Amino acid sequence: MTDAEFVRAYEIVGADFTNAGRASTGIKEALKDMGLPSALIRRVAIAAYEAEMNLVMYARRGTMTLHVTPNDVTIDVRDEGPGIPDIQLAMQEGYSTATPAMREMGFGAGMGLPNIKRNTDELVVTSEVHRGTTLLMKVHVG
Amino acid sequence: MSDTVGAGARPRAGAVTLADVREAVNGVALWCPDDSPAVTGVVAADLMSDVLVDARSGCVLVTGLVNLQVIRTAAIADLAAVVFARGKAVPADIVDLARQMHLPVFASRDSLFEAAGRLYAVFGGAPGEPGARRQA
Repeated sequence: MTDAEFVRAYEIVGADFTNAGRASTGIKEALKDMGLPSALIRRVAIAAYEAEMNLVMYARRGTMTLHVTPNDVTIDVRDEGPGIPDIQLAMQEGYSTATPAMREMGFGAGMGLPNIKRNTDELVVTSEVHRGTTLLMKVHVG
Repeated sequence: MSDTVGAGARPRAGAVTLADVREAVNGVALWCPDDSPAVTGVVAADLMSDVLVDARSGCVLVTGLVNLQVIRTAAIADLAAVVFARGKAVPADIVDLARQMHLPVFASRDSLFEAAGRLYAVFGGAPGEPGARRQA
């Protein structure tokens, strides 16, 4: 890839399960086009998809912004939604507030945030109840 | 919960291909332009959250869940193909998305249990044998 920075933003609509995953697929395609290693792309794509599904399931709307430099791939996820009252609890594997409908979609096992952490080198979660949640996910290149 | 078999199982002679997978589960190709690529293993799950944690790239996903997220999950995780088990009808929009994402998809009348068992055998596993990697 070139030394130039790359930025692309994706709008996401809550409860839109028909399009859920399109942003993450777009992110994956963009990273492929840059020629980044496939193992790195897979980690970023999985983290992005987990975050996107969380956003679609819980929030009203939000954005995912991909930011690529020669050193890092960063994804900034911001949503307008219910927020997370206890982030530490939400980071525990198996903890979930998913509805039966979410589980019928194949999600909501309480693995989303822990799996994002597993697939990223840095993760910062901030949240305000009744306002929304922000995830800053970073994967180091090379 | 999902179960993954492949990496630790006793390998059979030659690589396991998509054609072997289709034959093992008596599958019908809903979209598969080329069944010669090798697959690295199998993950059987209805919970896509588990697939995103457990599945290695190049695995085949066998599932009883039928929705668009199955295709997107498999594509995001670099899986080789999806086998929809239990003879469930697979709507055209799901096959169309698979085609767009270049993800081979098959349908099988086998139950998830039967399909997983047959594929376990294809990869050289046998009941009670060590080698197949089981993941919670």
